[in-house]
Amino acid sequence: MGAEWGKIIDFNWTLVINLLQFAVLLVLLRWLLWKPAIKYIDKRRELIASRMAAAKTSEEKAGELVVEREAELVTAKKESVAILEEARERAEKSFEDAKQRAKEEADRILADARVQMEHERDRVLADLKAQYAEMVVLGTERVLSREVRVEDHRRLLDQLLAEIDEAALDGVKEKR
Amino acid sequence: MREQLGRLLERLGQKEVATWHIGGFAIQVDPKTIVMSGIASILVLILALFLRRALRQPIEEKPNRTQGALDIAMDLLDSQLLGNFSSPGFGARMLPFIGTLFLYILASNWLSLLPGLEAPTADPNVTLGLALMVLVMSHYYLVRTKGLRGLGKEYFSPWWLSPIKILSEVVARPLSHGFRLFGNVFAEMVLVTIFLAKLEPFVVPIGLRAIFGIGFGLIQAFVFTILTVAYINLAIEKH
Amino acid sequence: MVQEAQVAAAGVSGADLVQVAKFLAAGLCMGIGSLGPGIGIGNVVAHALDSTARQPEMRAPLFSTMIIGCAFVETTAIYALLVSIILLFVAK
Repeated sequence: MGAEWGKIIDFNWTLVINLLQFAVLLVLLRWLLWKPAIKYIDKRRELIASRMAAAKTSEEKAGELVVEREAELVTAKKESVAILEEARERAEKSFEDAKQRAKEEADRILADARVQMEHERDRVLADLKAQYAEMVVLGTERVLSREVRVEDHRRLLDQLLAEIDEAALDGVKEKR
Repeated sequence: MREQLGRLLERLGQKEVATWHIGGFAIQVDPKTIVMSGIASILVLILALFLRRALRQPIEEKPNRTQGALDIAMDLLDSQLLGNFSSPGFGARMLPFIGTLFLYILASNWLSLLPGLEAPTADPNVTLGLALMVLVMSHYYLVRTKGLRGLGKEYFSPWWLSPIKILSEVVARPLSHGFRLFGNVFAEMVLVTIFLAKLEPFVVPIGLRAIFGIGFGLIQAFVFTILTVAYINLAIEKH
Repeated sequence: MVQEAQVAAAGVSGADLVQVAKFLAAGLCMGIGSLGPGIGIGNVVAHALDSTARQPEMRAPLFSTMIIGCAFVETTAIYALLVSIILLFVAK
């Protein structure tokens, strides 16, 4: 084997040897790398496809769920509106009731108060009458301020009666 | 370092050639290229073993980080390279070839990032060999899908155009295909070598290599692979 | 000055002239040869970007097609590079 210097673009048997070597590399790599690689790609593709299918089905399910939910929402809204309406009605009714009751109560209280007032007035009037009589007696006693004897009494009474009769007659005359 | 660079600069445009005598038959080879190509292949094999372990893992509900990266890589491979085949079934069948080609060229291009190693794609033997292989493959698939009649139609349909067609499709196409990769990698190597030799105190060798190497290597590997896809697709396409 | 030039010219041989011609040709070949592809790749990328801006969802297929188009346009530059390399390193 003798080494010498040749030009850079000399062609020789290196070409053939290198091609043989490349062929060996190709065979080795086909067995070592590309067979598992193709298997791997296929598996991966299958996995991706299955996952895509799963995603599609789940998406469809999600769409159905959405529709369902929307329907539920609509009914719930209706229900809530009805409940609100009912509550409002009830509230109005109870308000009216309370108003009515309050009015009745007030009327009752007023009537009670009126009755009591009348009672009181009657009582006061009776009291006043009694007091008048007492005071008249007292006043009379004081004006007279002496004991009245029987003869006097009789005389007085007669005189009084006469006077009364005269006064009454006069009063009638005057009234006429 | 400096001496080595000086030697490299002096030998720019030249390569070591060894002559093997096998049974009175002398074959000339570039030993360095063969070794570097072997290293690149071994790197690809190590990557394949690592990926195999990741691929063998059971697929969980939530992919872990390796599987996420694998998914992204597979998606890119599928959308950017194999997606250019006009029929998806054929693309899936070409996955091993296209994937191996891409990984091998990528590893070869990135080999120059490691100190002391050289990209085997800086040798025209490698790139032109791959281009010729693509040429043969495209014609194989042309015959398989359209038959020999299709092959004849391809080249002799208007008979007066056949010389130009043969010249452009059989000669110029693999030449440009192979020399594109070689030219880019070789030019990058020359550039980096000159930079390092002349401006050694000012540039960081690893940094310069990384700047030139990573993006260039990736783009060139991608271009070579996508052109392979395009050529094979042109051969199988029904008009 | 003139004398120096004459002395220098006297030392120039035919092989040196060939060397000069090779380097010059290689440089010109690369320079002129990459003019067209440069414009072409600029066109390709500009239109690809236009289309991507108009239809961002077509980004992935457009990118692949753009790379293929760039590669085809690049071909002439690759031939120029090949000729330059042959001139520099191979031609005697």
